[in-house]
Amino acid sequence: MALTMLAVSLLVFLALEVNGESVAVKVLGQFSTGDQRHLWLAQNGYFDPLPLRYGRWLWGFLQGRWGVSTYYHAEVRSLIAPRLAASAVLMAAALAVIVPLALALGVLAGIRQGSPVDRVVSVVAILTTSLPEFASAVFLSAIFVFGLGWAPGVSTLADGFSLRELALPVAVLALSSTGYIARITRASMVEAMASPYVRTARLKGAGPARIVLGHALRNALGAPVTVILLQIPWLLSGVIVVEVFFAYPGFGTLLYVASLNSDIYLIEACSMIGVIAVVSSQLLSDLINAALNPRLATERRAPPRRPVEALAP
Amino acid sequence: MQDGGPLHPGAVDLMGQVLRGDIGRRDFLRTAAWLGVSASSASAFLGLEGCASPPSVSGAKTLRFVCAVQQISDPATTAWIEASNLFRNSLEFLTEVDADNITHPYLAESWRPSDDLKTWRFELRRDVRWSNGEAFDVEDVAFNFKRWLNPASASVNRTSFSAVEAFETLGPYSFALHLRRPVCSLPEQLYAFTCPILNRRFEAQGADWPKHPIGTGPFTLTQFEVGRSARFRRRADYWGPPPKVEEIDYIDLGPDVATHVAALAAGQVDVLYRVTIAELDLVRRLPKVRLLRNQAAQTLVARMQVDKQPFDDIRIRRALLSAADNAAMLKFAYRGFGVVGENLHVAPFQPDYAPLEPAPRDVAKARRLLAEAGHPEGIDLTLTLGNTQGRWEQDTAQVLQQNCAEAGIRLRLNVIPPAEYWSVWNKTPFGLTYWSHRPLGVMLYDLAYRSGSVWNESRFADPEFDQALDAALAVLDPRMRQAKMARAEAILREQAVIVQPFWAEKFTAVSDRVIGHRAHPSDYFRMDRVGLA
Repeated sequence: MALTMLAVSLLVFLALEVNGESVAVKVLGQFSTGDQRHLWLAQNGYFDPLPLRYGRWLWGFLQGRWGVSTYYHAEVRSLIAPRLAASAVLMAAALAVIVPLALALGVLAGIRQGSPVDRVVSVVAILTTSLPEFASAVFLSAIFVFGLGWAPGVSTLADGFSLRELALPVAVLALSSTGYIARITRASMVEAMASPYVRTARLKGAGPARIVLGHALRNALGAPVTVILLQIPWLLSGVIVVEVFFAYPGFGTLLYVASLNSDIYLIEACSMIGVIAVVSSQLLSDLINAALNPRLATERRAPPRRPVEALAP
Repeated sequence: MQDGGPLHPGAVDLMGQVLRGDIGRRDFLRTAAWLGVSASSASAFLGLEGCASPPSVSGAKTLRFVCAVQQISDPATTAWIEASNLFRNSLEFLTEVDADNITHPYLAESWRPSDDLKTWRFELRRDVRWSNGEAFDVEDVAFNFKRWLNPASASVNRTSFSAVEAFETLGPYSFALHLRRPVCSLPEQLYAFTCPILNRRFEAQGADWPKHPIGTGPFTLTQFEVGRSARFRRRADYWGPPPKVEEIDYIDLGPDVATHVAALAAGQVDVLYRVTIAELDLVRRLPKVRLLRNQAAQTLVARMQVDKQPFDDIRIRRALLSAADNAAMLKFAYRGFGVVGENLHVAPFQPDYAPLEPAPRDVAKARRLLAEAGHPEGIDLTLTLGNTQGRWEQDTAQVLQQNCAEAGIRLRLNVIPPAEYWSVWNKTPFGLTYWSHRPLGVMLYDLAYRSGSVWNESRFADPEFDQALDAALAVLDPRMRQAKMARAEAILREQAVIVQPFWAEKFTAVSDRVIGHRAHPSDYFRMDRVGLA
């Protein structure tokens, strides 16, 4: 895991830092002179060998020296924390809607493959999943902001936390990812319902509730959990469209503004935060899967026992 | 009239002209204002009534204004009108040009040019105090002129006031400007957004205005967060009429105007900075929202750098002008809301516009010129643009691209983000630049086409043009100035420096609670006169 992060950090460094001249232009502005840039590059050690620069850059990042944003004229660190918190709020609200809804729909559809419920859920899921966020954001705000006047047009959270302002962004996010997770859940549920242990349970006379909740669901959750946790990094940095559309003061908007304005230190820090989010959510998903599936857990904890035959002389 | 002294001889002349009907009332008001006749005196001469008092406004309220909150350090070097709309609440100017392009006294109570327009005497108000309690006087004005005129100054003011030879302090509240050449539009230039009067200790305090937001204006900056918001609070000890709202909140909602309109529709904000042509139909349909319109000399200029290949060949430049279909660009990219441009960068509704012989589109001529220049098979060109004002810039460029294709010019569009465009706008060989409104054509020429001007993005340098411009600037009489402008306009078009397709109308939108807000052609808003019902 640490290796993944190291590799990605190297990529970020190579993409943004290798060309010192372009960094100097971004920091000092287009109107700086060649002399000023050269001086700045020398002062900041840009003429040292590449591995040394990378090591220094990574060490600085680990110590929290993330530089000063050229657009906001503020410490990058002080900018990122509130934005991450705002995105986390949006993410939590979105997950609170998406996860129960998607699991319930997926299970309902997956219990009896081919039933009318299954058909309806599948069609709706495909429809909503195929609708991109920028389109659903426009549709929803056309209906609820411009048409009915129920919802606020932007979600700046200027006066603190507001459920009303969160409603539309959450609805857009839910619309685009609930269907996907529901379909994944349905597929693993169908598989679980056809498995030998469910048949055994049914033969032993267990009720449908007990079969679904006690036997099938736990085994069917593996794939959906992985997918749900994959949504976390997406919700953190991939929701740029939704955040920008509703002027939500989150991490995605920050990354968007940073890229628009070539704000190099801010882009670097945001990318690294994104990497951390991806890797740690992967780790979390592995841990949850291990808890759901004891077989995976034992395989990891204890070394596999040698076959008994091998003990014979 | 305001200073009690005798009238400038030019003013007497003007009175005769307006009575005979030779010049319009607006021309009279405008020109009289330059000569130091106050707008109220001039209006009284015309028998115009003063402005009706606005409907009553409710008192303590916060006005919410959607506007980009950009970094400000030195207001004299700011490149963004949005940024100036923030500091315009706290910083004031010597003169004011209103939404009808008429100049009014502001920090300068009155002014008088000499008969040859080369010496201008200004009298300052005596009752103005800085927000830190200090008295405002000629020292502050002297400090600002010294900064602007400094040869090392990065401010565009250095160019716009290049005619100023010396600043002379005459007393604690009066000064004179001595000019190298006559300039009729000096008072109008003093309201350019880079000309706010800063406190004399601005540089001593670190030359970073938001850190020490001292001003003479009606509001004080109380909070400033780049990219988020800024807040201004009404000053109790302001010298002028008290502002109608207590607080103004500037909210940065990002670059997408559709998002701003959504916020206005939902009643989350009261005033939008601008609405583009794309949101026009939506805004018109919204209840409780008013669309504001105003004719403005704002335009897009596809300018070619005359010292860079291949544009150093005048035949290539002329081919582009011949191939461009300005009427089509207005019709398809701006839906006809505006006036067709004639590649002159002077608008027919500007008072110093001189009509020239029309130069109609001629695709065959464009092909011929290309062949003469050694490109019989056509030529590949790249136009850089940044959609700094919205998507219509790209739409315009796409129509131009099709126009050019007919003449064998293969135009590639290099679309870059808005902020990046402003870093390359005066460097790219062929760029599509937005130029905001100026009250007069001479002002645009002085900024954009005079040799060596800081904002001369085309690197156009023509002594003959400079002379013609100087001649136009020396004439007070609007009709006589037109004759001089005809020369300058003809040279610019002859040299084929720009394709200037159309003059775009200006739109903005406010909630119906807002009273007293007008679309200003330059987007120079005075928020102390705006109230909430």
